[in-house]
Amino acid sequence: MRATLLAAAALSLAACTQKPVDPGLPAPTPAQLDPVPVNHPSIDPLPDPEAQGGHIGRAPRRISVAQLKASILTTTGRQWSQIDTLAPSLGKADFALVNAESTEANLVFAKFLEDGAREVCLAAAAADLTQTDQAQRVLSPEVPVSITDLTKIDAATAKKNLVTLSTRFWGQPLSGAELDTWAATFATLATRAQAAGQKRQAFGAICVALMTDPRFFTY
Amino acid sequence: MRDPQGFSRRHLLRAASGFAGGALLGGLPFRTFAQQAALAPADRCFVFVYFAGGWDMLLSLDPRDPAVFTPERVAETRILPGYSLLATDPSFPTTVVTPNQRPGGPVPAIQFGPAIGRMADHYDQMCVVRGINMNTVAHEVGYRYFLTGKEPNGSAARGSSTATEIVGQMHPAVPVPSIAYGIETYNDRYPGAANALRVSRAADLLLTLSPSPTPLDSEIEKQLVDLRGKTVTCEAQAYDSRGLVGQYRDARSQMTQVLGNQLHKSFSLDFNAMDPQALNDERAAIRSQYNLPATGSVNMDSAAGRAAMIGIALKKGISQCVSMNLVGGLDTHFGTQVSHATTQRTGWNALADLVDDLRKSAHPGGGTFIDHTTIMVFSEFARTPLINGTGGRDHHICSAAALIGAGLKHNLAFGAAGDINMAAGLVDRTTGRPDPKGLQILPEDLIATVLASAKLDYAITRTEPLKAILSG
Repeated sequence: MRATLLAAAALSLAACTQKPVDPGLPAPTPAQLDPVPVNHPSIDPLPDPEAQGGHIGRAPRRISVAQLKASILTTTGRQWSQIDTLAPSLGKADFALVNAESTEANLVFAKFLEDGAREVCLAAAAADLTQTDQAQRVLSPEVPVSITDLTKIDAATAKKNLVTLSTRFWGQPLSGAELDTWAATFATLATRAQAAGQKRQAFGAICVALMTDPRFFTY
Repeated sequence: MRDPQGFSRRHLLRAASGFAGGALLGGLPFRTFAQQAALAPADRCFVFVYFAGGWDMLLSLDPRDPAVFTPERVAETRILPGYSLLATDPSFPTTVVTPNQRPGGPVPAIQFGPAIGRMADHYDQMCVVRGINMNTVAHEVGYRYFLTGKEPNGSAARGSSTATEIVGQMHPAVPVPSIAYGIETYNDRYPGAANALRVSRAADLLLTLSPSPTPLDSEIEKQLVDLRGKTVTCEAQAYDSRGLVGQYRDARSQMTQVLGNQLHKSFSLDFNAMDPQALNDERAAIRSQYNLPATGSVNMDSAAGRAAMIGIALKKGISQCVSMNLVGGLDTHFGTQVSHATTQRTGWNALADLVDDLRKSAHPGGGTFIDHTTIMVFSEFARTPLINGTGGRDHHICSAAALIGAGLKHNLAFGAAGDINMAAGLVDRTTGRPDPKGLQILPEDLIATVLASAKLDYAITRTEPLKAILSG
């Protein structure tokens, strides 16, 4: 069996590269993509958007209600209390009257996702405020527990935290100008939340923005 | 990793250029956007009104003269109007109802049964279709047959609800195109945007239209709006450029618009001192229009409350189609004639108030709302023309329906149930009169007619509309 798998892997690699594997490359690591050799032929270059009606790649798809439920739990460690009640409105099929899951991101989905994100995120942010173990913090994992004044969080720490959160929520880190924008927004949120005595709303609002961003519920 | 040679910055910018408008719009302050995209009623609206349980046609849409269809002739006619049994409630007439001629209106050409209530006043906006062969006496089957215009497989619905079909074809620019209140809804071929917002209670609808139960500080709320409106990277914009993400951004804009307009307040008719006087005045006017209590809390789940919700949804530009289970409890195998008539009249009176409201309310497209609204009123089947041993009536295969409003001829009775056992017969489709060479009238004929009334494609029904009742 093992020999068969190895042979299949060798064949597929040969089909891809059409030339012997460079012996100088590092050995593939499990769960990691093989490195692309130098001078490798182009890998399905993306088509010119002009020839695609301005589009790039396939259209994104929305996750199902079950996936949304799992995603919320995975990213925040807690569950939206209303998700089962609202599941039919979010698109879940009951296989009695509705026999296909609707994965449209329509008005009802947008409204209820916003409601759910607020419930879960503000609860998580509130819990973080009393969590003294930094490793256990959900929305501020990169912010030292010694910082209690949100306005004292420096830009580098805020960005590091945003990168961690965006990677967890979207599987894709914030970067570049977009990271700067989010960091600036967080600074404003932190100042306001600190002044208003609503500290949970600073990280809570960031979490809401992450969870209601299309990158959270599309693939 | 993407090949940078195949995807240059120039390409990205070109791809993003198509979304410049959207990005600009997203960058506008919400107030400006809301002003630009103010709610406006759909040019064509549709209402599907369901009387649940199977109605007694003799009491409303297909009466028989008790002086002709006497108990003595029952063996011959197999029809017993039973109007004399209503005498215990003096509010019911005990004869066939001929509407009073409306000022400036045509001479009434439709007669009704004693439970028609105030709806008789709208004879001049109504076409009654009689002698419909429902092909079933099973509740779910007849109900789903009328919802989709396709005979179910067993009891499983086939095809899309007519409201879904309409929204799928018309793409109305209203925030909640279709509402299905206490009624099933199906979609077998259109994108999810055509799906109805299905609610079983008024509270569910309010939940959708109400602000989040978890409010944020107003400044933080504003920062969130600003963050979402900011232009992201070219690549992200290209990813967002079509399909679902674009739909989601539209939905969020709609949501912001809906919440900004505080539409949930429109559906709440309870006086609230915190709300503007104009809104409370509007609530009082709606209560009066729909014969709801002038003070105290309003039960929006009552027939009158539901009718008011339809009017609000259409007139405020919230929805294009509303499908409503207006009244239930009509499955009176064991009930009395009075109990069935009372329930049925409750529904007709609520509908009459809705039609009256639509007749009086100016539509921005010209005329009044009834000129832009088509209403279909149906039940899953009718009740037997004979009274059973327990004083009720059982299920009867031949039914009737009412079509009201835009795109239709009015003051017209089309088709007929037979004078023996009110059997469904064959009808000449050009005249509506019984004709042994004619065709039966089936639910899909009415669905095709409703679609054709708005010049929509009715091919899905696989039949021709009843052209004799289409206007124009």
